[in-house]
Amino acid sequence: MGNYEIALCIGVVAPLFMFAVLAFFGHRIGKPTSGWVAVLGVLASLGCATYVLLGWLSATDKAALMATTGYDWVVLNLFGNEMPIEFKVKLDGLTVMMYFMVALVSTCIFVFSIGYMAGHSDEVDGQCKFHRFFCYLSLFEFSMLGLLISSSIFFLFVFWELVGLCSYLLIGFYFDKKFASNAAMKAFITNRVGDFGFLLGLMLVFVFLQTFDLDQAAANFRHQYATNSGIFAADIDILGWHVSGMGLATLMGIGLFCGAMGKSAQFPLHVWLPDAMAGPTPVSALIHAATMVAAGVYLVARVFRLLTPDAQFFIAVIGCITLTITALIAIVQVDIKKVLAYSTLSQLGYMIFGMGVGAWPAALFHLITHAFFKAMMFLGSGQVIEGCHHVQDMRKMGGLHKKMPVTCWTFFIGVLAIAGFGIPGTHFGLGGFFSKDEVLAVAYERTYNWEDRFGGHEKDDGHGAENAHSATPREDDLILRSGKVILASGQVHDEHGSEEHDADEHGADEHGAETSHGESATHGAAAHDAGHGGHHDDPVLAGIAAQQHKIPKWMFWLPIIIAYVTPFYMMRCWWMTFMGKPRDGHVHHHAHESPLMWAPLIVLAIGTVAASYMMFRPQLGEAAVIASDAPLVVAVDGEVPDKAQHELLGLSHDKDKDPHGALIGIVGFSWLVGMGLAILIYRNGLELAERIKRLPFVGFIHWCLMEKLFFDHIYDTVLVGGTRVILSGASNLFDILVVDGIANLLGRGTVRIAEFSGNIMDTGGVDGLVDAIAESTQGAGEMVRQPQTGKIRNYILFGTTGAVLVLAAIIAVVMS
Amino acid sequence: MDQHLISWIVFLPMIAGLVLLFVPRELVKWVALFGSGLAFVLSLLLFKTFWGGEAAGVFGDAYGALHHVERAGWITGNRFSIEYFVGLDGLSFPLFLLTTFVSLLACLASFNFDSWKINKGIKAYFFLFLLLETGMLGVFVSLDFFLFYVFWEVMLLPMYFLIGVWGGERREYAAIKFFIFTLAGSVLMLVGLVAMFFYSADAVAKYPELATSYNTGAQVTTGTFDLIELTTNEAIQKHFGDAGTKLLDVRFAPLMFMFLFIGFAIKLPCVPVHTWLPDAHVQAPTPISMILAGVLLKMGGYGFLRLCYGIFPLGGEFWASFLAVIAVVSILYGALCAMAQTDFKKLVAYSSVSHMGYVLLGICVMTTTGFQGAMFQMIAHGISSPMCFFLVGVIYDRAHHRQINKFGGLWLSMPRYGSMATLGFFASLGLPGLCGFVGEAYVLLGTFQAGPHFKWAYTAAICAAFGVVLTAGYILWVVQRVYLGSVREEYKSFPEATGREMLILAPLGALCILLGVLPKQSVFDFMNGTLNLLIDQMNGVTQMAMAAAGG
Repeated sequence: MGNYEIALCIGVVAPLFMFAVLAFFGHRIGKPTSGWVAVLGVLASLGCATYVLLGWLSATDKAALMATTGYDWVVLNLFGNEMPIEFKVKLDGLTVMMYFMVALVSTCIFVFSIGYMAGHSDEVDGQCKFHRFFCYLSLFEFSMLGLLISSSIFFLFVFWELVGLCSYLLIGFYFDKKFASNAAMKAFITNRVGDFGFLLGLMLVFVFLQTFDLDQAAANFRHQYATNSGIFAADIDILGWHVSGMGLATLMGIGLFCGAMGKSAQFPLHVWLPDAMAGPTPVSALIHAATMVAAGVYLVARVFRLLTPDAQFFIAVIGCITLTITALIAIVQVDIKKVLAYSTLSQLGYMIFGMGVGAWPAALFHLITHAFFKAMMFLGSGQVIEGCHHVQDMRKMGGLHKKMPVTCWTFFIGVLAIAGFGIPGTHFGLGGFFSKDEVLAVAYERTYNWEDRFGGHEKDDGHGAENAHSATPREDDLILRSGKVILASGQVHDEHGSEEHDADEHGADEHGAETSHGESATHGAAAHDAGHGGHHDDPVLAGIAAQQHKIPKWMFWLPIIIAYVTPFYMMRCWWMTFMGKPRDGHVHHHAHESPLMWAPLIVLAIGTVAASYMMFRPQLGEAAVIASDAPLVVAVDGEVPDKAQHELLGLSHDKDKDPHGALIGIVGFSWLVGMGLAILIYRNGLELAERIKRLPFVGFIHWCLMEKLFFDHIYDTVLVGGTRVILSGASNLFDILVVDGIANLLGRGTVRIAEFSGNIMDTGGVDGLVDAIAESTQGAGEMVRQPQTGKIRNYILFGTTGAVLVLAAIIAVVMS
Repeated sequence: MDQHLISWIVFLPMIAGLVLLFVPRELVKWVALFGSGLAFVLSLLLFKTFWGGEAAGVFGDAYGALHHVERAGWITGNRFSIEYFVGLDGLSFPLFLLTTFVSLLACLASFNFDSWKINKGIKAYFFLFLLLETGMLGVFVSLDFFLFYVFWEVMLLPMYFLIGVWGGERREYAAIKFFIFTLAGSVLMLVGLVAMFFYSADAVAKYPELATSYNTGAQVTTGTFDLIELTTNEAIQKHFGDAGTKLLDVRFAPLMFMFLFIGFAIKLPCVPVHTWLPDAHVQAPTPISMILAGVLLKMGGYGFLRLCYGIFPLGGEFWASFLAVIAVVSILYGALCAMAQTDFKKLVAYSSVSHMGYVLLGICVMTTTGFQGAMFQMIAHGISSPMCFFLVGVIYDRAHHRQINKFGGLWLSMPRYGSMATLGFFASLGLPGLCGFVGEAYVLLGTFQAGPHFKWAYTAAICAAFGVVLTAGYILWVVQRVYLGSVREEYKSFPEATGREMLILAPLGALCILLGVLPKQSVFDFMNGTLNLLIDQMNGVTQMAMAAAGG
């Protein structure tokens, strides 16, 4: 094992060790020492992370740093072959960046928590739950870092579930409160729905790609695409639905993405995240803003190479819907944590959307900047809530800037960052100014410049057009791609046998290649296809691009509109909390700050600024080179390092079509507009907002948004109501429509069915039958006045009768 | 002693049971503990087998390579021979160990016998308990069908009395139901037993040139009860698999498969023959529930692998889709039923139905991964379900009821117990890192992998995968209702789990984690060898049959 692998592993295990210490001795260690014990663990992680980061940045031959040692956890049997599930450290730019980010943010939040939980643990139950909190946090830290260093999708899933467990435990930390335990349950079960899809994806990966290793899976995927074998040649029936080839590959991608939909709370599984705010605020900052919810984006980044154009398009659509609806809901929230929760959802939507349109590095860049500023804002809100004695309603705040200067201004930096503050055309700005702009630039490119550049055409129907498109020049494509990979990093090529195979294959003469792939019609059709779209000098790229969807206009314009909405609701939140006049004297009087809590804020503020400018972006660009070597992926991004520049498709540098230039006009000053509008409305307190709300149409919209666009109601109605209607007729539809309560995704509906099957059918049906037969035999027995009427006898009689009946049935079946 | 190790382990509990009849009342439970404890310690000695060699390779290169074999004539005539034939291979070894382990813990769990509602007859209780242990151990090591059957029945009676005498209010009903269901299965098994004997005699007469014994290398000339012989003897397999071999005008292999299958399916249990289980569990005293869930259910799965699939792989092919339907229904229906329960213990009982559905699914697709998953799932469930039952028992001892909706906030009044409960239920939920996950994952992967062979396997895998959502649903919901929430007045004074209770929970909890983290070292290494050989054996038979059909 190399030093860096060891360091990463130590960084993962250290929090686990602290978890064990706290679990067994926490109650003796007491408060606040147990908090510092946990901090010690995460500091060790941070140390390791820094060591690896510095080493990585200074290394010239990065391929040499890659992990080499693997550990076979279990050995599976697949069609008679051995297939180990290997635990191996994933060591690449993405892991190093994410690992460092998570460790740094966690350290800040752990320290903050010591201050925060001092006032939030004991009063809850009269006992010291303080150490338990840090116990869970340490377990989370272990799971999250473990997730980041897993090189296999299987272990990704394992840690995936573990972070879910920690999330469950921490959301439900105040489990004596009903709403907290409900929220915890909702989070876990909603995530499980996503994981169901994830499992489906895993099974497809297992059977068709025949490995769980991420790199190997990608290599196999490429190979199968090139040779039209494996998943691209498969043809299966699932639930009576026939899927094959590209459709199956898409299904695999979407399945894996379902996991991300759960964890990153994407529409339609987004409902758990706002409720998750029932957990302590540091938890919201760590898990539900900076790290765990971003794991979904990380997952998509990791499996990016397994995504087909259709799957990518699906991801983009989901992201686009999520970012839109949640931003709208955020406008009307009055709970400071809820505003942040919905804004998190919206920003996650941007990331997922970015992934979907192919802006791989941009989405991750946004993830990292967002992690810093959102964690900071959540901690700020925690400071506010703590200072105001557990008041979360912004309507009772106001004017806190004098009492909490550090919180106020660090929060303001966060607002600027999320709003995309910056001077367009220059390199002066914060967070979203860079990262969100990149996402939007790629979206612009995909929307407006696509046809011109590649002669690609919008696919009217994914499956219908599939046959035509499968006729792209696969071998040529491979030449291009393998060449790129070798040039870019070298390590992928060296590592995997099947890539070697690819390389050999293109070395073989054209004829041989053709005959080996039964579908030799490929080439003719390909030439035709390229020629058809080809006012472009590179037919190969045109071929790939033709498979990529051109993005419909609404998917570009919705994020643009939301880029105006974001600054508005964030500024509203900040202004209502810190500016204006105090609206509640009592709250204002008590407000205070404590150093243990504001020091981390400053570190995070520095992190926000630093993340915007330095460390991460180039590294991500470099990582993107590896990650986007999928056969069907066109990485669309200009800002990759020079080394990779000519291999990846950059953004247009044509002046007329420069997306960055276009965006300045479209969205460059959105932060100014949005924030200005918020100040205009809220500068004199809430009166103006109230007046606006009373306008007829606005009032209706406000109501809809307050009701969170009815998702909880819909789930409740569909799941609960649907089954109830089935059970008791459509008579009490009204009751169902007004039913409120937890929107447990499983819902009481399932419970209803369960009650029916569990109680009525089981005890009434099957048992009833058994009892009836027994009784009737007993009756028969009495009729013939058998002297022994012991029950056992009758049961034996029944038993034999039953056996004979079954026997008859079997004979009937077998003979037919 | 070393060469009769297995016999010692099997009969030690019974000997202890006889001894305790003659000791003073206060000493009874200590004798019982000594008996089951010694059996456990001795069974640990079996690990010696695996020292100094790759565990998977220990079981030789053909199915039927056994360890610790003891065989002696028992009842012999000139046309037949019933043997006392016991031995261990990868199928039985993990289950054998599980049995001694769970029995020891269950014995410890019986230590508060005096505080039970029905606390008369402590001698009878522990005698029957130990007799039951002997029966269970015997079933797992018997390799002679007749002996197997005897132990199978030996196990039945003590269980009947243990539930019927020391159970809850409806104990008699539950006991009789348990008895009848099992007996119905036994009847069919008995038919199978006899039929297999005579047909094997026919077989060796028909293909004498193939009838070479795996054991002696000599030609087999009579019918046999030897399970390994029945599985591996080519003449017998050829005759059994032949489409022309019929019983009552029905093809022999599918018919016999189903006879045996029903007996084991009742034990497993699968829907629709599962209804004895919730009653038996709810009425049985806590330690007996632990045994029932931890060990008895596994006999079903073990029987499938050893008898149904070992001897009649073609029957498995024939019924595969039917069994898959039953398995998937068991998984989903069991989970839904669990969700509907208000009785805590019944909920855990139904969760067993759901979990055992995975076992059947893994087996019925006939892939190596599926078999491994099923076996692992049995072991894992053998750890997690006794833990869950004991957890229920702990609060039943304090509250004297099991109504889920009447509880709340127990984690606050009993923090240590609450932590163990979370661990146990999350293991049952199938959380990665704990034991429940590995088996489920293997079964799902194994099922999906069978797709090219069985068209329906993809669908079955996906339906089964949906079970994970339902499982999360009912487990979390019950955890919420019982352990979370604000503590209720009447439970505020509940004492924390005692030392004895922790002594039972801690090893179970530790194993939940161990099996989840190191599945290979803790379980797979000990059974993969035999499972692979079994699969090879089955494939050989299938190919032979296909060749015969082709010719």
